[in-house]
Amino acid sequence: MGAHSRDRTVDFLAVAREILPPGANYDSCVGCGICASGCPASGLFGMDPRRFINMATLGMNEELATTPWVWACTQCKRCAYLCPMGIDVSQLVGVARGLWPEEEKPKGIVRSCAAQRMDESTSAMGVRSKDFVEIVEETAEELREADPRFADLKVPIDKKGAKFVLNQNSREPAVEPEEMGPLWKILDYVGADWTYASKGWAAENFCMFTGDTEAWREMVETRVSAINDLDCEVWINTECGHSFYTLWQGIERFGLEANFEADTLVTYYAQWIREGKLPVNSDWNVNNIKFTVQDPCQMVRKSLGDQAADDLRFVVKTLVGEENFIDMQPCRSANYCCGGGGGFLQAGMNDARRAYGKRKFDQIAATEATYVLTPCHNCHSQIEDIGEHYQGGYHVTHLWTLICLSLGILGPDERKYLGPELADLNLPDEA
Amino acid sequence: MKRRSRRIDTDLAVIGTGIAGFAASLFACRRGLEVAQFGHSGAMAYTTGYLDLLGVQDGRVLDDPWDGLGALRRETPEHPLARLPDETIRTAFGLFTEALTEMGLGYTAPGERNLRALLPNGLVKSTLSVPQTMLPGCEALAQRARTLVLDFDGLQGFSARAFEANLAERWPGLSSARLTFPGMEDRQVFPEVMARALETRQTREALVDLIRPQLDGAEYVGLPAILGMQAPDRIRTEMEAALGATLFEIPTIPPAVPGIRLREGFERTMPERGVTLDPVLKVSRVRFGAAGATLTLHGAMEDIEVEARAVLLATGRFLSGGLRADRTQVSETLLGLPIRQTESRNDWYRKDYFDPAGHPVNRLGIEVDASFRPVDAAGDPVQDTLFSAGAILAHQDWVRQRCGAGLAIASAYAAVDSAAAHLTPEGQPPDRSVRSDR
Repeated sequence: MGAHSRDRTVDFLAVAREILPPGANYDSCVGCGICASGCPASGLFGMDPRRFINMATLGMNEELATTPWVWACTQCKRCAYLCPMGIDVSQLVGVARGLWPEEEKPKGIVRSCAAQRMDESTSAMGVRSKDFVEIVEETAEELREADPRFADLKVPIDKKGAKFVLNQNSREPAVEPEEMGPLWKILDYVGADWTYASKGWAAENFCMFTGDTEAWREMVETRVSAINDLDCEVWINTECGHSFYTLWQGIERFGLEANFEADTLVTYYAQWIREGKLPVNSDWNVNNIKFTVQDPCQMVRKSLGDQAADDLRFVVKTLVGEENFIDMQPCRSANYCCGGGGGFLQAGMNDARRAYGKRKFDQIAATEATYVLTPCHNCHSQIEDIGEHYQGGYHVTHLWTLICLSLGILGPDERKYLGPELADLNLPDEA
Repeated sequence: MKRRSRRIDTDLAVIGTGIAGFAASLFACRRGLEVAQFGHSGAMAYTTGYLDLLGVQDGRVLDDPWDGLGALRRETPEHPLARLPDETIRTAFGLFTEALTEMGLGYTAPGERNLRALLPNGLVKSTLSVPQTMLPGCEALAQRARTLVLDFDGLQGFSARAFEANLAERWPGLSSARLTFPGMEDRQVFPEVMARALETRQTREALVDLIRPQLDGAEYVGLPAILGMQAPDRIRTEMEAALGATLFEIPTIPPAVPGIRLREGFERTMPERGVTLDPVLKVSRVRFGAAGATLTLHGAMEDIEVEARAVLLATGRFLSGGLRADRTQVSETLLGLPIRQTESRNDWYRKDYFDPAGHPVNRLGIEVDASFRPVDAAGDPVQDTLFSAGAILAHQDWVRQRCGAGLAIASAYAAVDSAAAHLTPEGQPPDRSVRSDR
């Protein structure tokens, strides 16, 4: 990536003073390096979080405005989590990203954001609202026909006053619509009163990652307005990380009015299991296949904290058996970013991204687990990619797949992310 | 958007997640108290991993810390450690090292004498308890055994060559070599990153293969502290078996693996012991009432109120944010507790940086009564339900006296003892009925 002109720069220290929470300031860095030591992006492009702060303190604004490292930092906030002074490098990285001319920013991120702004669907993969509605209806029809048990399954769109409104990552309607089936079956199984919104339904927001605050705001406004119109109690973010953070953080940052609560699907999986509505268990795992789980930064460390991590573990342990769950270390709020966050996965910087991901790969390898569960699409893709690259031999799976597997309602065409040992296990009874 | 809110009811709220805070939670759990603990990352990751009780008294390096405590009681009776009997300190220290060992971080039990333990620059310090991964280093030094010390390309802050040079005169059997850590060529490497990589079998085998040709008859091999993060004793045993020599770790400068191990170990195991723990969430306000205190905390997406029947403050000193110094005074940051100031700011420091008497500012802190309750100028407790422990306490200079862990652990034990006595008078189970009124 070529360094752009140095005219566009800011006084990073002055910016820091504006955006940092009370009590935090960059002058208080003691230079201990716990941030750099704990950051998988350290060393990429000759930069690390401590060096970034040192350079800001020295007024090296031009260098900070032009280093490509800002696209390798996934803004995961692990540095802020570890820093005794509470210094948050990710916010300055966001500012530095915004200083890059559009044509020099990583094209994958820019294009994704541009696609989001083209239609009220806000889809980064260019799925328009009317296409989404059509794909959902067709897929639901196929599902009803394929499985008599779900002959009455409903997938409401724009149902006003439903309890829940769900978003949907574009990857499913765009390239693998059959992956929506397990989610709908779960919602049907628990009798959830839910709906999609035809506008602003997409569960991705690359505009925040471009550093273009106005574009981020525009996305959040479109979505919040669509959700507000439906008068639902809770907006549930499906198995995806950054779409959750960008929305609630955007609402706070831009001072938007929202008539709903924001929560994640994992929280509800846990609740439905506790309430007995989702009677999953690990009886199917007779061969004691081992599982580990990724804590999406956007959902855990950056948003709900260890409460979400606890729910995640409760769900996974119930599904696979406590003895078959092996936690990554470090885990929960201290877990590492997979290396796919912050737009890194879309930035076209594959060597750097995989070097970053080596830390995640080692964590997974140390568990010796056969399956990695990832309630986030970026984590899913990145962990799959580094598994292939470093020859890990593990499988990467969504939670909805395992939930349906456990309930005996996972169809044969909903198993693309399962390995051969689970390909035929617990198939629905032929009716 | 509606912010979430959560309420936590607990017997004891521990504020602080350093050694003192975690020790307090541990001791409180043992006493059957419900504990909620909050804090921030603080300074724990900066430790060598050695647990000092008392390494220096009156400028003398101590061989016998218990003897040193006797001298401390005579010379500085107001020192928090001087106010506790040996028996209490010994019990507290022993329980703490046992708990660490249970966590998977083997530590030596506190003995009668200080150990002579290695430091990264080839110096030696007196300390009471060391990680099992570091103990063979003490033995190798004592025996002047044939020992190879290794460092790695790109590792800053630890030089095997300098280590060897500084110890060469008294340890002729010492040699050094530099390796390239497997998979980490041509770049800066951090001990933490190497330790994480050694969690995988593949990296362990690759490293052993690199070390083996360097052995040249060495009985001991010293490495910077990188032998894994979660189960260092198991990793050391496994690598020793493959190598055919005794391995030991040498602490490195911060940020160092032994401190990260402690922090992650506590974060992993305290919730298993029943502690409600948020290790990176600062308490923003505490209000005391008739039945205890209400703590307010603000997470990213939620506001938390903690109703606690007692509070233990272990927020540390300046680095951890428990104390603050401005142009006129030293203050306590959360509750505004009274601090007996020096006459003027000029009296904070002596002229000579290395003055053996130390600097008065380092001895400023929270004054407590015999129950480790913070007191006002008249010596009366500020609150019946407030206790304090660790480096925030006045009349100690833990860095100079090499008494940081001992101070934290023993004062936490004593403070929890008092809190438990307050909460469970005459050995009764905690009376939690008062909470329903609030």
